[in-house]
Amino acid sequence: MDRRWLITFATTFLLWSALVQINHYLAPHGAYLFAGGLLVAFAPLRLGLRNGLIATLLIGLAVDALEPVPFGTHLVLFAAMHVILFHLRTRFPREEPIFGVVVALLANLALFLGLSFVLLGGHPASGVAWARLFVDLLWSQLFIVVVAPWFIAFQERALELGRVDLVEESRVTF
Amino acid sequence: MPSKRFDRARPFIALGAVVLAWILLPVVVKSFLQVSFFELQAPIQTTASYARDLQEYWAERTHSKNDLIEAGRELRHVYAGYEFQAQQTEALRAEISRLEQLLRLPSNPHYRYEPARVARRDFAGWWQQLVIRKGADFGIPAGAPVIYAGGVVGRVREVHAYTAVVDLVTSPSVRLAANIEEDSRPVSYQGGLNPALRPARGIVEYVPPDFFASAKNPKRLVTSGLGGVFPPGLTIGYITQLDASTDGLFKSGEVSLDPRLSELAEVTVLVPLQSE
Repeated sequence: MDRRWLITFATTFLLWSALVQINHYLAPHGAYLFAGGLLVAFAPLRLGLRNGLIATLLIGLAVDALEPVPFGTHLVLFAAMHVILFHLRTRFPREEPIFGVVVALLANLALFLGLSFVLLGGHPASGVAWARLFVDLLWSQLFIVVVAPWFIAFQERALELGRVDLVEESRVTF
Repeated sequence: MPSKRFDRARPFIALGAVVLAWILLPVVVKSFLQVSFFELQAPIQTTASYARDLQEYWAERTHSKNDLIEAGRELRHVYAGYEFQAQQTEALRAEISRLEQLLRLPSNPHYRYEPARVARRDFAGWWQQLVIRKGADFGIPAGAPVIYAGGVVGRVREVHAYTAVVDLVTSPSVRLAANIEEDSRPVSYQGGLNPALRPARGIVEYVPPDFFASAKNPKRLVTSGLGGVFPPGLTIGYITQLDASTDGLFKSGEVSLDPRLSELAEVTVLVPLQSE
């Protein structure tokens, strides 16, 4: 088993599990955090395509298993976002933490809107639903701004502890 | 040059391969993956839930003896009231049974009450669901109604080894046949009004035009028993607004739901006895 995707998946899974618990406590207050962008941002920016995509597909499956969406929705959305970010990564200073935060925010916005368009078809009160989603999106983006710098550093450190050379890895194209 | 172009297209070829593989993957494999990934995460959810219970236990241990004596005294009063009500219920059940035999009516479905702790709340704008800490290990079937002290909670959607997923009555995917209290005409209830930072509401449709309801004069909405999932008479919520629908034949409006729904820590699953 390759350490690169395993460590990346394990750290992302940890964030996902924490997010599930945070949402449990937020439920009575009518708020919800979605951080799909943060779950997929690190792997396409810092790992090769194969290892990064495996980690992204696994986290997509983990999210799909818990949420009431057609199984594979997050998998396909996350994979598409991964590929787009991987394709664009050479044009930007991808090793800068601040760039990682910006990518996570943009990816989260795109995934949130994509998921909303998929799931809101046939909603009995789409006006109220969109108002709620807009507020949830706002909380989610704030959450990412706060958590992303720590999470990116955490993933980098975890990979370093697993003796993964991130400089070498970022040169790998496949 | 062509190899450089291929290198650039490689991520998209990989995505195409992933999507194609996912489409062609047999349903059995997808189901296996879904169950595996759910069960992989179930221990985390239940452990967190047990940790919360422990936290609650230690918080309650800080109460003084006087508090406990006072609480015990209050409980004795409540218990006496319930004991009297239980006797009345028994008498009414016997009466119903006698009338069913006399009129040769089919008897109402009977249920086993299975209390379960809530392991996880997941209330998004897209969906509203709970995960409870009982599943196939306690014989909970998919589709079983779930209730609490305030009325209807929802319906079991998925059953796993030792957890089950409940679609909440506030979820847009939940639609119930209902009655307005003391009226036998059926109306339709659907969840889906989940505003941010405020309690959830539901939508009522196909209300006969002779009904009037407002926030000052709300009407209780109860389960009708039609469809056979929920027993009749359970509270769904209170109709606080009714307006004529576009066709003019019926009215539709909003249902105010109990705010306790968003804070549930324990629910009861009604397991139909016929299915056992």
